[in-house]
Amino acid sequence: MTYAKNFPLLMILILFISAFIMPLMKKNIFVKGLSLFTMGISMILSIYTWIFITKNGAYFYRVGHWDAPWGIEFKIGMIEAIMAMLFTMVATLILWYSVYSVEKEVKDNKVSFYYLLVNILLGSLLGMVFSNDLFNCFVFIEVTTLASCGIIVVKDKKENIAATLKYLILSSLGSGLVLMGIAFLYDITGNLNMTYIHKEIMNVHAVYKNTLHIAAGLCTVGIGIKSAMFPLHVWLPDAHSSAPASSSAILSALVLKAPILLLIKILYGVFGFEIIREFAILNLILILGTMGMIMGSVLAIKQKEIKRVIAYSSVAQVGYIFFGIGLGNKLGLTMAIFHIIGHAVTKSALFLAAGAMIEKSGKKKLSELKGIGKEMPYTLGLFTIGALSMVGIPILPGFISKWYLSLASIDAGEFMLIGAILMSSLLNALYYFPIIVNGYFGEENLAGKIYKSNEKSIKELLPLMMLIIGMIAIGAGSNKIMDMIRIGLI
Amino acid sequence: MEPIILIPIILPFLLGIAGTKILFKGEKIKTFYVISAVTINLLALIGILNIEGAKAFHLLKINPFLDIYFKIDKLGILFALLASILWIFTTFYSLAYMKHEGKEERFFVFFILTLGITLGIAFSGNLFTLYIFYELLTLATFPLVIHAGTKEALYSGRKYLIYSLGGATVALLGMILLFSISNSLNFVEGGVLGTVNIDNPKLLLTIYMVMFLGFGVKAAIVPFHSWLPAAMVAPTPVSSLLHAVAVVKSGIFVLVRVCYFVFGAETIRQIHGNIYTSVLVFITILLGSLLALHQENLKKRLAYSTISQLGYIVLGIILLNENALIGGLLHLVNHAVIKITLFFCVGAIYFMTHKKNINEIKGIGKQMPVTMTCFSIASISLIGIPPTNGFVSKWYLALGGLTENKIIFPIILLLSAFLTAAYLLPIVVTAFFHGEEKKDIKKLDPPIKMLVPIILLTGITIFLGLFPNVLLHYIKSIVENLV
Repeated sequence: MTYAKNFPLLMILILFISAFIMPLMKKNIFVKGLSLFTMGISMILSIYTWIFITKNGAYFYRVGHWDAPWGIEFKIGMIEAIMAMLFTMVATLILWYSVYSVEKEVKDNKVSFYYLLVNILLGSLLGMVFSNDLFNCFVFIEVTTLASCGIIVVKDKKENIAATLKYLILSSLGSGLVLMGIAFLYDITGNLNMTYIHKEIMNVHAVYKNTLHIAAGLCTVGIGIKSAMFPLHVWLPDAHSSAPASSSAILSALVLKAPILLLIKILYGVFGFEIIREFAILNLILILGTMGMIMGSVLAIKQKEIKRVIAYSSVAQVGYIFFGIGLGNKLGLTMAIFHIIGHAVTKSALFLAAGAMIEKSGKKKLSELKGIGKEMPYTLGLFTIGALSMVGIPILPGFISKWYLSLASIDAGEFMLIGAILMSSLLNALYYFPIIVNGYFGEENLAGKIYKSNEKSIKELLPLMMLIIGMIAIGAGSNKIMDMIRIGLI
Repeated sequence: MEPIILIPIILPFLLGIAGTKILFKGEKIKTFYVISAVTINLLALIGILNIEGAKAFHLLKINPFLDIYFKIDKLGILFALLASILWIFTTFYSLAYMKHEGKEERFFVFFILTLGITLGIAFSGNLFTLYIFYELLTLATFPLVIHAGTKEALYSGRKYLIYSLGGATVALLGMILLFSISNSLNFVEGGVLGTVNIDNPKLLLTIYMVMFLGFGVKAAIVPFHSWLPAAMVAPTPVSSLLHAVAVVKSGIFVLVRVCYFVFGAETIRQIHGNIYTSVLVFITILLGSLLALHQENLKKRLAYSTISQLGYIVLGIILLNENALIGGLLHLVNHAVIKITLFFCVGAIYFMTHKKNINEIKGIGKQMPVTMTCFSIASISLIGIPPTNGFVSKWYLALGGLTENKIIFPIILLLSAFLTAAYLLPIVVTAFFHGEEKKDIKKLDPPIKMLVPIILLTGITIFLGLFPNVLLHYIKSIVENLV
């Protein structure tokens, strides 16, 4: 099975190379097919990688047979394998969904361009997950920025261009900060490979304490911008709400998450548990995460458009992830990664369901979407299950995250923060339930609506259903997933 | 054989989902389907209670906490049988009543679902499972509350959701903290904390109060009561069944579980939890009664009365002695039977005459003699006059208060009984003695489907008052192991 070691690189290469074949194809159907096919192949490869890891344990992979300090190195452990599987699976389902509906939001001649970008985006996200080389990661960050700008602006409307510019500027700032952080680290340690940097830091951290502090701060803030940490989230609602539905799903489910994983790798891998615990940076992350949990939800309540509500909800959910990272204990970190998984699946399902409603009814305001439950009972039903997970109904992943994050904050001695977690879940209820209630109930809301008159066909809803089923499975199998994450952390 | 105990819980779910197709197939099919659904479920329940052998089942055990675990014990059986039997009465009543409310199909789907959820609450074997069903209960009863679909209904529904979810979330906080201490949330007679040293009574007290207040929201403890009168906007069968039995009694049931199966009477005494909670309960009993005096709307008056009466039951729970708990559990059953009768009568008045307020029903006793007689008997029972069942439970509650050597408890009970008389008897008086004498009085007693449940329930009220022993022995056998 040693050939399985090549699979991670193979995934990235397949996605990158196939991307550039797409513009040569004449018919959109072939482009879609190729994109879906390559994503499916990557998914299968990632599953193989995961099986390989479960059997043989983590390994380092030399790209191009160059040894580590000089060549680029991949580190593939349990967490990386799980993330790759998550990314490719969610992306496959989203692409499958987009196959039926992409033309409604993207012009015909842009479709090949769109799928090109999606493939590149996914390739670079996977690269960020696997790579053990800081500069390599930085390159992938830049590629994701450009590709995600592309899939937002592809709709070619005024608001998209504005949102994209905002995103581009802030993201460039973010990646600039990350680059500066990397430069500091390189300066101190003379390495770009994370394992080697870690070794060097262990020797010198007493001497370069402030510099390391600055480097950690720069990386955190830079990645914070990329992944919408609370006060740096300003680009997210515009970008996520104006993009086509499938882009929104990819952006919030995957593009936000890969940088967070990188942050975890930097903080806990490059610096290491012992060193990072002494830094104030974890407290900052904890505080910002807590604020994000609350403020993201508060802002979501005030929104008038369904996609903006979901976008702000992402800010809150990312807050949970940062909260887990900031707690600075194993359980917190485990839950942060678990929440990445749970949220990726849930949020993509929510965005796709909302996209379906907007596409079918042509309306995007909450006030206009009243009574949609009668016209599209199944779509709103799937939306409801996703929302219930966000609100924290037991067994669904949202509840599991909340429960264990609470236990983790007890471990960390932060009793008060449990209040923030619970408060946030209540706030979630405040903005998700009105959508559902007004969708299904109310005499005025339902007047003139015809039962199932606007429903998507089962074929089109299938990927959405699979996402929801996957979400429930993640909740039910949470213990196994957490065990696997724990294996990866050690 | 163990999974078999899930049948009464899962069957309503399946029947409810199947109902989304079948109920639309016509009047006769609907009637037959709904009646057979609840009856079969009761039979299934009784059948399972008669099976020998292990009565516990882990549906899904992921780890010590994430453990969906069902266990049948005596307290659960009491609650399950109470709910199932009253469900059948309500089914017949609503088949007639819901005709003028419309959207019957949707109503019955959620109606059947709620039965399953209530039984799930009854048979939960740990706090986590209970919490799941507790949340589900909120979600499944929400469509019933906002059945009318008007602005007012939606507003009340939102209030109901916010209160219930808020309460559940607060209770969850307690669960998290408790789990971090005890590492187990299973229901054990005498409490899971028995083995844990109480080295931090303050923290434990906080946990207890948080859980009490959180779960107390559904039991309508003041100051978290105001969702209950607001929810009266729902159709009468919902008000009667859910807001006299299923929802509020689930809240009470959870409190019993928390007090006696999670914390344990001994622990609560040590942390003085009973003292703090008793203040709230006093306020609940008195405020409920006082507010009921002011209500013109019949259903609202009954709702405030419910708040006060629930206070009695909670009082029985938190006094932590045998007599009081017997009284509390007896009143749990008795109040359910009485209040459902009262609501059914009020609903019958509304159904026949579209009158909602007290000043409108002058002389209605002559038009609806049977209904109003039943109403009177139920009122007398709620006040606590022998030979009705209300007397029996209040007797034990007063005994419980005296066992604690505090004369204040019986005094409050008497005062509240007086207030109960003050808000219920005027209705009876107005109905029978006010209004002009008319020669040709049109008989307006409701259709047979509504009248029979009312009469039978009134019969039960008197029967339980005259022969309380069967129930009393059963409850005594529950209480023996708890206090």
